[in-house]
Amino acid sequence: MTVNLLRKTGIATFATLLLSVCASAHAHHSFAMFEHDKQIKLQGTVKDFQWTNPHVYIEIDVADESASRKVWTIECANPGILNRVGWKFNMIKPGDKIDIIVAPLRSGEPGALLKQITLADGRVFSNGGPAGTPNIK
Amino acid sequence: MRNASLVLSLAVFASTFSLLHAPSAVAQSERGRSDSGAPANRDFGGTWERYPPATSSASTPGPLAPSAGPPLLASPPPPLKQQYLAEYEAGQKKIREADARGEPIATGYTHCLPDGMPSMMMAMFPMEVLQTAGQVTIIQEAYNQVRRIYIGAPAVPIEDAEPGFWGHSTAKWDGDTLVVDTVGIKDYVRFRNVPHSAQMRISERMHVFDADHFEDQITITDPVYLTSAWTFTWRYQRKPDYKLYEYVCEDNREFADPESGKARMRFKKDE
Repeated sequence: MTVNLLRKTGIATFATLLLSVCASAHAHHSFAMFEHDKQIKLQGTVKDFQWTNPHVYIEIDVADESASRKVWTIECANPGILNRVGWKFNMIKPGDKIDIIVAPLRSGEPGALLKQITLADGRVFSNGGPAGTPNIK
Repeated sequence: MRNASLVLSLAVFASTFSLLHAPSAVAQSERGRSDSGAPANRDFGGTWERYPPATSSASTPGPLAPSAGPPLLASPPPPLKQQYLAEYEAGQKKIREADARGEPIATGYTHCLPDGMPSMMMAMFPMEVLQTAGQVTIIQEAYNQVRRIYIGAPAVPIEDAEPGFWGHSTAKWDGDTLVVDTVGIKDYVRFRNVPHSAQMRISERMHVFDADHFEDQITITDPVYLTSAWTFTWRYQRKPDYKLYEYVCEDNREFADPESGKARMRFKKDE
């Protein structure tokens, strides 16, 4: 039973890899899991700013309309792309107030792809070319 | 007064001399160019980016500087043999449909795997070329990829080529064109999802147009999967002041769902 499960998992993993290494033709990954046509604005406080590859992540604590709090995980581009559009590794810190425009996950989970960020000092940054531009203000 | 003037002149001379001879006097635009004595029309040394940019499509031609040669043709579809074509097209359709549903299928990138050859030469991110005696080394920023091309070395027999992501590359000069032959690519390292056998060869003709542009004409042959040679070309423009960033794929919160194979996002609360 266990062996069969392992075999199946192994085969599934290999099949995934097979489909995968190559899906590389035009971008480093698909952004299809995000709803680009239903962008939203979020305001909140940074809980964590993680400067890593293949993505930079912002954890933001957002107060919603019912005043309950929710932590969102925001996927950004990678340090190379962000550096090239003016970001710095230390420009965001826990406790910072930020305004962001994001494309939320289609799954409804509290995750999103960043489109634009406005820092507390008013500076505005994009998420680099591949992630696309905001379609709301 | 005369003494003050003399002191000022000496100071100007000293500062000019020190500027000219300081260890940091290498002009930024010269950084990365080869010290190997290669003539300019055989010198790939330096930092480069795809030209036109790689952001939209690997196969879409775009505007070019006059010096960068004639417009690129769109890369043709892979000339797969009939018995493999249906399965390939079905796979591509499945990927498109999954994207349209908003449920993308996980890729090698989801698993933090690098491009390998020939996808690495798409240069989705900037790349650096080091040209030393008998060797050209290409570093792609994304995933810290490195391939080594040995000029004048004997070709690796294809039946002995240990499979890898970048394979085994040897080269020779044909006039001012560097002709590179690569064998030994792992079967699941694929460009545009196209299957290949251990008999696949990647032949490249790398040619410097001018001080700021070079192109790589790539021809893939595979007697098992392809009916004919598959040829396409990528061009690059010098990015002289650029220093590559490191890229360790240390935390991808996109993961492949073990049951569905779909890419999903992992949350910290799940850890």
